[in-house]
This record gives sequence, C-alpha cells and structure tokens, in this order.
Amino acid sequence: MPPIVLCSACDVVQKKASLRRRERARCVRCGAELYRAGPVSIDVPIALALTALVLLALTDSFPLVTLKLNGTSRTATLVDAALGLYQQGYAPMALLVAVTTMIVPGLEIGLLLYLLVPLRLGHRPAGFARLFRILGAIRPWGMVEVFMLGTLVALVKLSALAEIVTSTALWSCALLMFNLSALTTVTSTEHFWTWAQGADVR
Amino acid sequence: MKRFATGQERGLLLCTRCGKISPAFQSPRALCPRCAAPVSFRKPQSLARSSALVLAAAILYLPANLLPVMHTSTIFGDEEDTIMSGVLALLHSGSWPLAALVFFASIFVPMMKLIAMSLLIVSVYRGSSKHTRQRALLFRLVEFIGRWSMLDVYVIALLVALVQIQSLASIRVGAGAFAFGAVVVLTMCAAQSFDERLIWDRQVKDE
Repeated sequence: MPPIVLCSACDVVQKKASLRRRERARCVRCGAELYRAGPVSIDVPIALALTALVLLALTDSFPLVTLKLNGTSRTATLVDAALGLYQQGYAPMALLVAVTTMIVPGLEIGLLLYLLVPLRLGHRPAGFARLFRILGAIRPWGMVEVFMLGTLVALVKLSALAEIVTSTALWSCALLMFNLSALTTVTSTEHFWTWAQGADVR
Repeated sequence: MKRFATGQERGLLLCTRCGKISPAFQSPRALCPRCAAPVSFRKPQSLARSSALVLAAAILYLPANLLPVMHTSTIFGDEEDTIMSGVLALLHSGSWPLAALVFFASIFVPMMKLIAMSLLIVSVYRGSSKHTRQRALLFRLVEFIGRWSMLDVYVIALLVALVQIQSLASIRVGAGAFAFGAVVVLTMCAAQSFDERLIWDRQVKDE
C-alpha cells in the first residue's frame, strides 16, 4: 500500500508524494498545506531553541523601556507589564499577558529541548508522546510577535508625551520573535515524528 | 465534479495532534496509537462548542467597545479612552499607519472573527454545499489573524506599567480592557473548537 495522507482541513485521502527541497504538498481538494519537504538536521532546532532560551531569559529579566518625564523616570520590564494589571485588580488579564508572553514561550522552548536533545542522542525521553501533545496544544497561545508590535504601538503613543529610552529586553524580544518563528517552521509535527522514528531505529 | 474519498468513509482516523492515521474501531473513546491523544472523525460537539463561545464573545464585544479601556489622570485633568478613541487619538497625532494597524487589530479583526465564525457555523448547521472553498479560506484567515487582536491588551499593559509618575500622570485599566481580552480569548477558543472538515462534509453527500 502506498503511503497515504489525510488532509487535516477537509479529510480527503490522498497519496503521499515525495518532495524536493523547500517544496510543500497541498491538498488536492481544499489547498491546505499537508506537509513540507523532509526535516532539516535535528541540530538546527536544538541550536535555535538554545538561542531562544538565552533571548527569553534576557527579555524576561531586563527592562524593555524607560520613560523620562520632568526629571523623573520609570522603567518597565515584561514582568512589570503583567504585574501592573494584577495590582490594579485585573488578575485574569495579568495572567493572560504572563501566559502568552512568558509562560508559553518558556514552556515551548523547555519542552522542545527536553524532547529534541535525547532524540539527538538516539533515544526517546520519558513521556515523549504526552509532552509532544502538550507542546502542540500550547503553541497557539505563545504571542511574542504580537507583544512586540504592541510594544511599538505603546512607544509611539508615549513618545508624544515623554522621552523614551529603549533597553535590552526590547531588542532581545525582537530577535526572539524571529527566532521562535523559525523554530516553529523547522519543528513541524511530521518532522518531529521522523526524528522520533530515527531515534528508535538507532 | 471530481469525487474525493474522505478518511471518514474509509474508516481512517487522523490524529490532529501527531498526524498519525489509524483504522477506526467501534469505540466511543478512541486514542491515537502513537501519541495517545483522543481521536475522532470530527471534533466532538464542534458546532455546539464554537457557537456557545462565539455567542459569549459577541455579548462581551459590546462592553469591550463601549466601556473605557484606560483611565488617564494627568495634571491637566482626567481622561477616558475606549478602543475607538485610542485609534482616533493615534490618527490625530499624525501616525496614520499606526492608527490603521490598531484599527485593523482591535476593531476590524474581532468583528470580522465574530461575523465569519457565525457565518461558518450557520452554513454548516444548515448543511450548505455552496462556496465551500471560499468558506474554507475564510476559516483559515480567521485562524491566522485571530491572535493579532491581542495587540491592544499588550499596549494597555505596557502603558499601565510605564505611566505611573506620581502627581504628573497615571493610567488605570478600564473594565473595557477586561471584556476585550475575554473577546480575544473566546474567539480564539471558538476557532479552535470549530472543525473545518464539517465545511466539506455536506459536499461529499451531495456528489
């Protein structure tokens, strides 16, 4: 039996075609993307995840911007942004900001490293399937790129009123945005399972 | 029109988490043999769940747009901002590309998500077989741009954290921001619980 695929968007059964580099397969009926050409080396996502870890640590611990007005100044970190909402009695919103900008990206990077590094060494880590599922479930809730754009809008709004000094975390956040998007592209579901199967054989 | 065979007709289950295809057995709670995620031909109670979530979002859409999202106190007096007045303020300050961006993310996208999801749910509920491809595209668009409406939540969070300069200026969160955040989360959940394969199911029967 030739390998088949089911379109996740319209459920049509179709034969799996072999792809050349950078090619992607689309569904014959609805045009949804089915899968992309074979995985890159597993070292690529590991390198990207390690970079993301450093960038996230910088983004979470350094100030994003400093506001200067009439001789006084105020600095805000990403944690302050969530904390400010909490202190004003909007705990669910604080949680939403913390989850989408810090907790989910952190978990995502941590899970990826936990899953990928052992695969690189030739075995599946404990709880592989369950953790992979959790990774898929939390991914849509990481919104670093939206936060980055929100920061820029906030800065433009404030620049009319006060002097703005950008800091470390703003730059690391901008880099993290590109890094995470590359990481998502190279760790698609089917590539993950190709690496996992490779680890079993070895 | 060309006849397409679906996994459901062939008795093949697709795991939406890991992509594994497995033969369906007559079991109410089937689990994917590879990753043990619950699998089914179509997401369970997809229409009921997503319509409930869209309805909740539609109700909260009103306070989200009518109530102030920010209270600003400066030495010149107090001011209240709604989502729309925030866009207008950006427009008046001369940064129209930014005003367009915020209008798109905060006003157009949430409204478009509510209308599009309602349209998709109603059309699937009525068993429509028209404009299938267009509806599938519409759903993909909703899924893709949905997250961008979080933009204003982050803007508010940052302004609140930064503008706390005693006696000169301070910003407090308004109840509208809470409702707005809830609309974004609820519409994202509605899109996630909607099974886009339902759009195509009627067509299979008609052909």
